[in-house]
Amino acid sequence: MAKVTSTKRKQRNGVVATPAPRSDSEGEDVRDDLKLDEESEEESPLSSDAEEGSEDRSDVEEGSDDDNEDGDEDDISNAIRSLLRGNGAEKSDDSDADDSDYEVGSDSDGSGAELEESDDEEGGSDSEEDGAGPAEENGHAKESVEGSELDDKNVAAAPEGNENGNTKGVEESDSEDDGDLNPRNTVGDVPLEWYRDEKHIGYDRDGKKIIKKGRKDQLDAFLSRADDSKDWRKLYDEYNDEEIILTKDEVDMIRRLREGRTPHADVNPYEEYTDWFEWEDKGHPLSNAPEPKRRFIPSKWEAKKVVKLVRALRKGWISLEKPKEKPKYYMLWGDDLQTADKTANGLAYIPPPKTKLPGHDESYNPPEEYIPTQEEINSYQLMYEEDRPKFIPQKFDSLRKVPAYADFIKERFERCLDLYLCPRTRKKRINIDPESLVPKLPKPKDLQPFPTTFYLEYRGHTATVSSLSSSPSGEWLASGSYDGSVRLWEVQTGRCRKVWAMGSPVKHIAWNPNPQISILAIAVEQDVVLVNTGVGLEEEEANLVTLLSLVKKPKSDDEETPLGKWKHDEELKGLRLRHQHVVYSVAWHYKGDYFVTVAPDDILSSGLPPIALSVLVHQLSKQQSQNPFRKHHGRVVRVLFHPSRPFMFLATKIHVRVYNLAKQQLSKKLITSLHEISDMAIHPGGDNLIVGSKEAKLAWFDIDLSTKPYKTLRNHSMDIRGVAYHNTYPLFATCSDDSTAHVFHGMVYSDLLQNPLIVPVKVLRGHTKGIYSCEFHPKQPWLFTAGGDEVIRLYCN
Amino acid sequence: MVKSTKKKVTKAQKSKQYLPPGKRKLGNVAKYTTRNKALNRLQIKLPEFRRLCILKGIHPREPKKKFEGQNKTYYHVKDINFLAHEPLLEKDRDLKAYEKKIKKAKAKKNRELAERFDRLRPTYTLDHLVKERYPSFIDALRDMDDPLTMLHLFATLPADNVQKIPVERVQTARRLSLEWQAYVTRTNSLRKIFVSVKGIYYQVDINGQKITWLTPHALSQVLPSDVDFRVMLTFVEFYETLVGFVNFKLYHSLGISYPPIIDQRLERATAGVEELMEVVNSDGTSDELEDEETLRCKTLFKDLKFFLAREVPRDSLLFTIRSFGGKVSWDGDGAPYEENDETITHQIVDRPTQGHKFLSRDYVQPQWVYDSCNARILLPAEEYVLGRVPPPHLSPFVDNEAEGYIPEYGETIKRLQAASANHVLPLPGTEEEMVDRSEEEAALRRSEAAEVAAKEQEAVAMERTYGEELAKELAGVSYSASLQDQDDKDAMEDEKQERKQQVVPPPAAEDETATLAQMMMPKKTKKLYEAMQMGIGKKKAGVELLKQRKKKVEEKKKGSSS
Repeated sequence: MAKVTSTKRKQRNGVVATPAPRSDSEGEDVRDDLKLDEESEEESPLSSDAEEGSEDRSDVEEGSDDDNEDGDEDDISNAIRSLLRGNGAEKSDDSDADDSDYEVGSDSDGSGAELEESDDEEGGSDSEEDGAGPAEENGHAKESVEGSELDDKNVAAAPEGNENGNTKGVEESDSEDDGDLNPRNTVGDVPLEWYRDEKHIGYDRDGKKIIKKGRKDQLDAFLSRADDSKDWRKLYDEYNDEEIILTKDEVDMIRRLREGRTPHADVNPYEEYTDWFEWEDKGHPLSNAPEPKRRFIPSKWEAKKVVKLVRALRKGWISLEKPKEKPKYYMLWGDDLQTADKTANGLAYIPPPKTKLPGHDESYNPPEEYIPTQEEINSYQLMYEEDRPKFIPQKFDSLRKVPAYADFIKERFERCLDLYLCPRTRKKRINIDPESLVPKLPKPKDLQPFPTTFYLEYRGHTATVSSLSSSPSGEWLASGSYDGSVRLWEVQTGRCRKVWAMGSPVKHIAWNPNPQISILAIAVEQDVVLVNTGVGLEEEEANLVTLLSLVKKPKSDDEETPLGKWKHDEELKGLRLRHQHVVYSVAWHYKGDYFVTVAPDDILSSGLPPIALSVLVHQLSKQQSQNPFRKHHGRVVRVLFHPSRPFMFLATKIHVRVYNLAKQQLSKKLITSLHEISDMAIHPGGDNLIVGSKEAKLAWFDIDLSTKPYKTLRNHSMDIRGVAYHNTYPLFATCSDDSTAHVFHGMVYSDLLQNPLIVPVKVLRGHTKGIYSCEFHPKQPWLFTAGGDEVIRLYCN
Repeated sequence: MVKSTKKKVTKAQKSKQYLPPGKRKLGNVAKYTTRNKALNRLQIKLPEFRRLCILKGIHPREPKKKFEGQNKTYYHVKDINFLAHEPLLEKDRDLKAYEKKIKKAKAKKNRELAERFDRLRPTYTLDHLVKERYPSFIDALRDMDDPLTMLHLFATLPADNVQKIPVERVQTARRLSLEWQAYVTRTNSLRKIFVSVKGIYYQVDINGQKITWLTPHALSQVLPSDVDFRVMLTFVEFYETLVGFVNFKLYHSLGISYPPIIDQRLERATAGVEELMEVVNSDGTSDELEDEETLRCKTLFKDLKFFLAREVPRDSLLFTIRSFGGKVSWDGDGAPYEENDETITHQIVDRPTQGHKFLSRDYVQPQWVYDSCNARILLPAEEYVLGRVPPPHLSPFVDNEAEGYIPEYGETIKRLQAASANHVLPLPGTEEEMVDRSEEEAALRRSEAAEVAAKEQEAVAMERTYGEELAKELAGVSYSASLQDQDDKDAMEDEKQERKQQVVPPPAAEDETATLAQMMMPKKTKKLYEAMQMGIGKKKAGVELLKQRKKKVEEKKKGSSS
């Protein structure tokens, strides 16, 4: 061994002039070539470049020597080696030994290097095994240093030494016989283009020229490719100018190499490692450290884990048994069938409304009359969406033709939404006969007498009759009209006794209630005219004349002008009382001396005067006027005197004010809750009052009872124009623009605890236009009505 | 006890915050709260609130005055407080926290823990809600309409991933609905069936409660996209619990254990119905008292054997025929007897033509079964034979009298019923005698009826004369009164008046009295009266329309026939 290293050193020294300082250690330590080679390779980077190069070179040479020693005939391995080296120099080295040289040089250098190494190892081990090798080797080495041209000789000479060493080589040498036929090119490692233009490619061993064969043209190549199935295995060796056919084994080898595996299939790269060293009882453990303490004490972490598990077991987090399943359903309710009407939260339970049960029309096969015609279905399109029927009945011949109802799920969903989103309220559904709502009233038949039938018509007026007033005796009826005339009729016959032409429309007339004073007060424009009707008795006439003659007052100054001027009217032989504004109504005191006029201020034109002048009270006997109210309380509509006591009722638009005349103060204010009062009448007893309004409502007030209406009726369909009480009978009437007059039975009981009885008894029709005024006969249960159709009608019982 | 109540009172007083009279909440403001306020109070989100409301049966209420605006939803404060104390609310929060635990374990790759958590996932039940909402069994029965309809619908729905309808829901719904049907069949409590375009309505009478539900036609349902199935599933969740408990109670009353144990093999073959019936019918005691109606239903198809062709709705017909005491078989697996059984009396078919016909049986359309059940008599089968358009299928839910219109076929059925009533309920053993007697009776009755009719006619005639007299009397009274009051008037006047009276017809006078009376009605009553009149008018118009159409149809028929 030492010899080997020494020769190596020599060799190195020979090749490279510089002595390598590390070589000593190499020689001492390294036991086998393998190690040496490895080390040298490893250490090469440390040494200088030149040295490196030389070392490499020497290695290569060594390898090549080894190869030669292994077996020159081992042509396959040579071929592969040359193949993998992929450079011309090596090729030239081996070219003599092999006829089947490869041109395949595409293998990666790395894999080539590996192979090289392994070959080297082989070589190394070989040299180790046989002792005879080294001497020759040395010789070869020396020669190889001298020149590459001598390689051939080495190759040729080498085999003998190593023949018995490598059986593989012997086996494979068979293939060499074929190769002997071809002359081997001996030109060496020269660029082949040097021979490009020559006829030969080089020289054989005998120094004869090897003549180039004619190259196949493409057509031949193609044909051979087509004909010969082995053509894909053919390779062209440019160096030797020949075609090589790879055997299957070789192809397989190439494939394995390319896959990065060992070239031979029977080589196991993962052999089990056999440790040849006997470790036991050697007394030298690898580590001399004492055993740590933790190997002798129980693990803390394990303990923690166990604790966790135990806890989990205890708490039932981990249970190996399956959890017991409780029965899902059980007896929830007892046997009592009692129901509770309150829920647990104390609120009344409102059950969800049940869905409507289907009718005949929902049937799959309804009676034919339930199926709408096409026109009807079309007409649904014109309806509003809310009114449109949700479901259109259909008829199917047989059950199997009924399709699935497309809206089923949607309808169920809507029901669900209703159940949890709709506010529920308990609504009392009245399941009663509608007729039971109609109040049970005493039959009109039992409440007679009252005016029921049309009896007489008084014709003569040429315009709307605005006002009626009958004489206290009941024999005469006066009527005022917008044609500017006032007529006096005989009630029983319908004869017109007298006509007064006033010149302008008459707004209102009022007969003096005192039978002795048969004077008529007529409201015309701004005047109130008092005329003698001339129907009184003879002895009273004189008295009337004196009444109606103008009294000469001591102080007829300008002071009193705002309250009205008393004048004598020559034409009508009466008194004329001039107001500042248009007079709308006149009302007498029951004694017949006083009368009150309503002449509302013309608010729009002049604005409110400082002192209200709309209501004036006049005294006939003294021919004096006075203004009882200084203050405005709204637009006055009607003023009346209490039939027996010193009270005055003043109806504004929405209120009725009751004044105590004796105390001169407001006694009551009646809240009518009407929007616009049109007329008012007082019960002869004086405790009850009816008020008609322009919103067709009638309010009955029991003044003692309350300031609010005892009863409000909306009996008419249009504005109420007039209301009237009967003097003696328990009757009252309303007349309206809807050309009807309603007669009511209005009984007022003397017992204060009993409420008045109001029963509508008759609707009087016959007028063609709205009725402006109605007036009861003072003694009989008759009613006069007059209105827009210019006639006055009398209804009798 | 006294002490404790005292303590409570003091506590309540203490907790009540003092507010000066002006700031104290009173009335509607104190009683009601809006939905958003409720959400804030409960500290939950809307979907959760919705779910709780559905489960708990809480609905909005209508305050007298909507103090927060017209477009808000108002809940009663007590309802919301009730919700706040609901254990389910806390449970939901726990579940949510638990979900987070699992998620966390998964995120930490602690698979074992995650699995354990998943396995030990806490569950909740709705039992207490059922008891709370329906303190007694009758209460629950009263509200069974919607649950049954929903369960029958879900039993036919496909389990769907998109709409998240789990398979278990569908299966449970199917099982519960079948169990319910089995009970109804066993007790013969089915009363009315109506095949409508929307589905098949069934009405049963259980413990005196009429329960009506609707099942869809047995065809696949298309799941609409504009339906929120979460809402429906929440409802179904509660309904499952409710119907389960109701079924338990009902089965318990029969002495059958619940849930019934079903043989899996047979269940598969006949989709569960058959086996369930077997189980339910075989077990238990059946010595409960049966009322007349049940008896009649039980014996309607008593000696009849049916066979269902494969094109008829099997589930529905099985349920119906069995409920009315018939024996039934079908074309398919697990059928009790074959089609060629000679004892079959009726074969239910719904096909245009039938190839082989047995002479021993009637081939009728399914409608015959339903109509016969509703009429409680076996209707003549000729009308319903194969290939004919059957007579109209009438709704058994309509009260013809109240409606004011009876379809022609309804009258026919009535006549048939009357005829069969004369045949009288046969007591076993005495049938033949009864028939004879009943015929006699029928003759007797007919004569009686004739007499009654004659009497009625007389009465009508008398009434008419009375009315006339009355009118005359009315006139007479006024006449005399007028005489009394103004005897000094001319005779001419009287004549005039008399003429007037004659001219005025009595109905007009009646009308006037009616209008006069209406005058005295308060506004509210008057409005109500008018509304009622309007309703009556509408009904009348509807009936008129039907009559008119009927006339046209008949005319058309005449025209085509002649």
